[in-house]
Amino acid sequence: MNESGQNFDELKKLLKLKRHEVPPPGFFNHFSDEIVARIRAGEGKGGTFLERLNDQVPWLVNFIRVFEARPGVIGGFATALCMLLLFGVVLAEHSETGSSLLVPAVASNGTDPAATAVASVPASAQFASAMPSEGGIAISTNASLQPVASVFGQAGDNTTLFQPASFAPAH
Amino acid sequence: MTMAASDNLPDPNSPAAMLEADLVKLARRGDLKAYDELVKRYQERIYAMICHMTSNHEDANDLAQESFIKAFSALKSFKGGSSFYTWLYRIAVNKTINFLKQRKNKYHISLNDIDFNAEHDPDLMALISDKTPNRDVALSELQKKLNEALLKLSEPHRMVVVMHDVQGMSHDEIAEVMGCNIGTVRSRLFYARQQLQGQLTDYLKV
Repeated sequence: MNESGQNFDELKKLLKLKRHEVPPPGFFNHFSDEIVARIRAGEGKGGTFLERLNDQVPWLVNFIRVFEARPGVIGGFATALCMLLLFGVVLAEHSETGSSLLVPAVASNGTDPAATAVASVPASAQFASAMPSEGGIAISTNASLQPVASVFGQAGDNTTLFQPASFAPAH
Repeated sequence: MTMAASDNLPDPNSPAAMLEADLVKLARRGDLKAYDELVKRYQERIYAMICHMTSNHEDANDLAQESFIKAFSALKSFKGGSSFYTWLYRIAVNKTINFLKQRKNKYHISLNDIDFNAEHDPDLMALISDKTPNRDVALSELQKKLNEALLKLSEPHRMVVVMHDVQGMSHDEIAEVMGCNIGTVRSRLFYARQQLQGQLTDYLKV
């Protein structure tokens, strides 16, 4: 047979020699017995960690094998991971900074955050910076906090505080 | 006469008379007699493939046993997408390639004997008597040179030559076992043959 201009006939004849190789006489007489004995002895139940992993998640093992003896691929993958981590940190810091401009700082010393925030910062001061000086709606609040139950008359252990407010058009 | 003929027929319920699929079903339930029969059916081909790859009888024995044990422990994950033999063969191939990667350049050749039929193979006799520079070269020397040349090939190239030119598997079967396409099989086979031919020029009339 001529394959791509090369004649491998002689080589194929030589390779036929491999078909005549035989194991020592009687080798297969007890081969299956040995395997069954080893299985009975409990071999093959566990296997190595990688073998068990290969049975359960073969794609993961294939993925790990991509890195075998490939320092360039390992380096590239590690660099990509580091960049991703760095990007995540920067993004997180940026979003925290942005949200702190919109929401007043909230102290969290075991007290109700909402009540603490309202109590610690005068409402008029908060809204003075947020609202336009001309036009819009002016909010006037009473700085004193009152229990919700005192207004709505709900029974039970209701310790939530509220701050009464009234809205009037600004002039 | 009729009695004698019926005595020779295997018991239809014995493992030896059962289909591969039935044996696999039983083996999955832990039936070791059924698995013993599966081992007996494929032991020679699995051993031969590993032996051709390693050129070492002891390594081939160990790897063949480990392949069968591994296959038994993994039978539950056998989905039946291919035949049991193809699946088993793939396990043996992977085990052998992993072993050869670890062994890298530390091989020790321990060749098996050549059977009586080789001396009556006209192709082999022609190679020895007519086409070798040294006419008294023995089959065993030719065998040694051939195995040394095979060991110089990379594992995937050697595997393709062994499966195709020695074991007579088709390109499709090789592609299925090795998990690659037929084009890759063909190119590996061509390259491997080229390499072998280059190394064995003294023994071939090219």
